[in-house]
Amino acid sequence: MTGLPILEISGLHKSYGAVRAVDDVSLHVNRGEICGLIGPNGSGKSTFFDCATGLSKPNAGAVKLDGQDITGWSLNRIAREGRMLRSFQKTVVFSALDVEENLVIAGQMFTFPDLWSTFGIGAMARARVEALRERAREFIKIAGLWDVRHQPAGKLSGGQQKLIQFASMLMPEPKLILLDEPMAGINPKLIERVVESIRFANEKFGVSFLVIEHNIDVVTDICERIVVLDQGRKLAEGTPDEIVRNPAVREAYLGG
Amino acid sequence: MSPNDLSLPAPRRDLRLPFGAALAVAACLAPLFLGNYALHAIIIALIFLLPAHGLNLLVGYTGLLSLAQAAFFGIGAYTSGLMAVRFGTPFYLNFLAAGLLAAAIALPLGIPALRLRATSFVMCTLGFVIIGQAIAKNWISLTRGDMGLSGIPKPYFALGPASFTISGTTSFYYLVLVIAVMATLAAYLIVRSAAGRNMVAIRENETLAESVGIPTWRYKLVVFMISAAFAGLGGSVYAHYLTVVSPLTFQMYYSTTMLIIVLGGGAGTISGVVFGSLLFVGLSEALRVAPEVRMIAYGFCLLALVFWFPKGFAPLIDRFWSFLRERK
Repeated sequence: MTGLPILEISGLHKSYGAVRAVDDVSLHVNRGEICGLIGPNGSGKSTFFDCATGLSKPNAGAVKLDGQDITGWSLNRIAREGRMLRSFQKTVVFSALDVEENLVIAGQMFTFPDLWSTFGIGAMARARVEALRERAREFIKIAGLWDVRHQPAGKLSGGQQKLIQFASMLMPEPKLILLDEPMAGINPKLIERVVESIRFANEKFGVSFLVIEHNIDVVTDICERIVVLDQGRKLAEGTPDEIVRNPAVREAYLGG
Repeated sequence: MSPNDLSLPAPRRDLRLPFGAALAVAACLAPLFLGNYALHAIIIALIFLLPAHGLNLLVGYTGLLSLAQAAFFGIGAYTSGLMAVRFGTPFYLNFLAAGLLAAAIALPLGIPALRLRATSFVMCTLGFVIIGQAIAKNWISLTRGDMGLSGIPKPYFALGPASFTISGTTSFYYLVLVIAVMATLAAYLIVRSAAGRNMVAIRENETLAESVGIPTWRYKLVVFMISAAFAGLGGSVYAHYLTVVSPLTFQMYYSTTMLIIVLGGGAGTISGVVFGSLLFVGLSEALRVAPEVRMIAYGFCLLALVFWFPKGFAPLIDRFWSFLRERK
């Protein structure tokens, strides 16, 4: 792994009143890496994600994506210009829209150069949407959602919605994807599918990942490196083996 | 799509095109069969269709409930009326100016208002109507206050050496029909564009829309301006039709009428709004046969509507449409 890390976060702070949700956390993700972020409930993982992706503003700290300082950028700008995409803990899809529309929407702001061009009605605009539709159909096939592609996404099972969400994040050729508990609430068979999808995107498209996950088996299986948070602070960092053997980590999980 | 489709015995005849053609012919021939009063009712309905299309982009597609349409309708009416009375400019200039000015005023109003959460935003838009009316009443040197502007000329076109005036109800009907068709086409093109898809995404889930790179705030502002432009254009036609404008053009009743057209017709559909404007303005006019109970009856009709057709008439129109496509 040469070169700069794809994502470099330094000294991130976030407080809610007197509560220090994230307290001086630094973390980096190397190019092409799948990095895990674990910690007991309330350890600040999700707050950390929200601050890193522009959903909420950190009190202090810097976020660098691919060498560019993106601190203070909004969620939509980080996605659009930084090509850093994120999922949400509670799976969300555009419920009333069918699967194909969900994916087309996920790609639009990356195909059209600006807001005004999206109002276009000419051949160019139509060709852009058609190209997105083609790409969407490919991903729909890969995700095994072909038969339900014209059904409203909200009518599908939780697992299928997870796959839609994952496929949506691949639409814009992302550099980095942040997943917030991708395995929560899905059955073991689907866990395998999601793990495969992550590996597929990582190997085929070179997407780097930062994954929050409680399922320790999955994390140690797919991640090359794991960062542990506890009570808003970074507790440990290392390879899966090191983390599993680390007594402080064991205590945080079992003693907390 | 599947190869089986090819082996179907005979394709069912698609009746949508003939139906559309029949509708167009009926619209063109309407003045031959309708009395002046019925024609007047349709003209009013078609004028209200413009702000309703604008409101539909906002409420039906982007998910922002606004009561400000009457404010922009009034701004358009006054802009057009003042230009015609003071400068004697031709109709199309007044018409365009009304739309542009309404959109321009929507920009500084939208910037603070759209930062508010849903219910606060609604209250804020209600305030715009009240402020608009107060300005129209009190800026007497410009608007002549409660006396209003009278003597606004009927639409007058000047193209090179030729000029003509649209004076009769029938010719006005054709003018409004052309404008309404163009507005409907414009609304249709907007919602079918990539921007229309992004608007729906914002309505469905704003945070998710943000997370796929959609600048939701800027979209809301642009749609708010477009919706104001539609209202301003409607106000312009209204001023030239009635030939008077008064502070009462800024009234909540108009905002609620537009909202009833959109929600009752079918928010988030173009055909529903066209149907809604004809139905609700028509209904309100038809009930004039019993003036004492008119508003009560109108109210009961609305109650019946929300009980039996909570999604407006859009689902019915959809079913009718698919019936035309493939009769069983």
